[in-house]
Amino acid sequence: MSRKSLHRKISRRKFLGTSAAAGAALAATGTGLPRVSFADSHTIKIGFLAPLTGPVAAWGKPGLDGCLIWADWVNAKGGVSIGGQSYNIEFVGYDNEYDVAKARTGATKLIKEDGVKFIMMLGGDTWAGAQPVAEREGMLFSTLLPSDLSPDSTTLVAPCEVHPIYNVTGVEWLAENKPELKTAAMCAQDDALGKPSVATYLAAFEAAGIEMVDAPLFFDPATTDFAPVMTRLMAGNPDILCLDTCYADYVHPLCEQAFQQGYQGQIISCTADFYQNIIEKTSEEFMEGFIFQFPDFDDPALNSEEINFVNPNEFYAEYANRYGASAWGAVSWEYASIMDLWADAATRAGSAEPAAVLEAMKADGTGKHAFGTADWWGTELFGIDNALVGNWPVVAIEGGKARIKAFKSIPAWWDQHKDLMIKHMTDLGQMWDQQG
Amino acid sequence: MDLLWQTAVNASYAASYMALIAVGLVMIFGVMGVINFAHGELYMVGAYCVVFLYAQESFPFLLAVAAGLVFVGMVGLVMERTMFRPLRDNPLAGLIASIGFLLILQTLAVFGFGRRMGHVPPSTQGKLEILGAVLTYQRLFVIVAAVLLLAALWTFLRRSKFGRALRACAQDAEAASLQGISMNQTARIAMFIGAALAGVAGALTAPLVSPTPYIGHSIIVTAFIIIIVGGVGSLEGAVIAAVLYAFVHTFVTTFFDGVIANIVGLALMLAVLVVRPTGLFGAKERA
Repeated sequence: MSRKSLHRKISRRKFLGTSAAAGAALAATGTGLPRVSFADSHTIKIGFLAPLTGPVAAWGKPGLDGCLIWADWVNAKGGVSIGGQSYNIEFVGYDNEYDVAKARTGATKLIKEDGVKFIMMLGGDTWAGAQPVAEREGMLFSTLLPSDLSPDSTTLVAPCEVHPIYNVTGVEWLAENKPELKTAAMCAQDDALGKPSVATYLAAFEAAGIEMVDAPLFFDPATTDFAPVMTRLMAGNPDILCLDTCYADYVHPLCEQAFQQGYQGQIISCTADFYQNIIEKTSEEFMEGFIFQFPDFDDPALNSEEINFVNPNEFYAEYANRYGASAWGAVSWEYASIMDLWADAATRAGSAEPAAVLEAMKADGTGKHAFGTADWWGTELFGIDNALVGNWPVVAIEGGKARIKAFKSIPAWWDQHKDLMIKHMTDLGQMWDQQG
Repeated sequence: MDLLWQTAVNASYAASYMALIAVGLVMIFGVMGVINFAHGELYMVGAYCVVFLYAQESFPFLLAVAAGLVFVGMVGLVMERTMFRPLRDNPLAGLIASIGFLLILQTLAVFGFGRRMGHVPPSTQGKLEILGAVLTYQRLFVIVAAVLLLAALWTFLRRSKFGRALRACAQDAEAASLQGISMNQTARIAMFIGAALAGVAGALTAPLVSPTPYIGHSIIVTAFIIIIVGGVGSLEGAVIAAVLYAFVHTFVTTFFDGVIANIVGLALMLAVLVVRPTGLFGAKERA
């Protein structure tokens, strides 16, 4: 066959068209070359569906940053061993902007397009968006907010942060160590994070014999001027100002307002993210003794044998090295600690499939929580035992630095005061069977 | 009594920065007929000018505020030339363009400063005590600046040639044009002033809020409520409505609840619209 005739029979256009058609046909029938490369077959994707932008980003983005360190360390050691095979871990992030609709879109995209095996969320308002997808696909999800748990969501676990239940430990510690504090006032943003936390603090204060000088003050999450809020809180001259689970964007100006309006009492808060900036806006003296629940991981107390988080001090150092020490926040370690649990369960299950991992995770009713062995718990409060609950640290700012003061047992508090917790959760419509 | 005074002081501060923002928005609408949805983001840009110049580069606070005023005014000029002038005959297109522009500004802020809130240390921690109420110098700056700037604007509009041209355009652009007033020039001036007022509000309040790329959302909603209550197009109405809204919102927040305060603020707007559909000053006066 002459070159001329070949050219006439198979033109460039026809060649490209035919090739494309053949390629499409091969792809459609699943034959031909493997769909994934050799390298890809040894990688497991994990979804990270959390607010990476917007006012709630402080509880999403630092967690993804921590996960990237976790993945680098695990992958450098050969990955996670599952069924005799080592797999690298790759995180696929999706910014839900703390928006319900975007959470739903993100969950679908992560499962259908990215093929993730597990999805970590902040939860809260956004869980409502992902819940139908989780139920339909049987995907394993984690939340930092166990108030998302319900018997209807069997594939949702809260394996790290038992927000807001751990807040009782801060109040309990205050009552034991500063018994002279007898009254409190509290504010919170009016959303799915603020309300259950308010109920928890109300129960904790009542259990500790601390009287509320006023009803909790709820403010709109769009609030930018916190002077009126602080004026109202201070009007009753409380011994304790409780900032509930306010976002960092609120904790900072609230503290600044308390400082400017002359407050000199005790402050307790769920978080104090980027507290160095609060100190700069107020003073080291003003912030001395500030109680919250999230330690810096360079804390020597985290080196005890009971702690399951791997190399906490080194993790903190690497985090500070990559992102700056002031970038460390409440969730910087949390999603990474969930990954420790997931990797352990997947190894024991010999599979990364969601159902198998969940079964292995809860196999003996206990789990290796970051702060020590803990129990899968929650039926009375959430309708399902999908929260991993044990000890939680109480942290105080001393000399401008966060330091763990004690590890307190959440189950021990619960055993004594569960009726109070259920009463206040019910009053604010936060029990699992009250949520629409 | 202390609580009442403190609440009044808090409300005075809120009224000051709200008035600056709302008057800027009214200037732009009154002269150009454009609803500038990116006005909240101009406030945000002003705040980030202070984040950059004062918090990061250690320039003096007032210099950073002045730079914020000028820079955001320049951003306003860019908006006028590239968006609002080509779309002058189509207000809806201008509105949509401003929505696009606000997304651009948000994205630029994220690229430039990250997603986290900007940290701005206070320029001073000094404070006054007035009848038992605390007023920090930082808040006093905002109140004083608002009074001075709005007084200067009033003088400019009433006494200067350009000010009269702006008012003429706001009343009847076609008639003003027939009198030889340049629409392009008046639009430039209005846009610069309107944007600069939002920018200086953001710059002055940056140490008092937590600037984020998305802070403009809450600002623009409040600004729209104020200009609707005051009467769209009325500068005096915007100032009075800002004071009214700030006092109502602050007192309700302090004595009831922040969420209820928002409901009351919206109810105030509805009540005014029912009684006077043009707003408090909308029918009588425009710019």
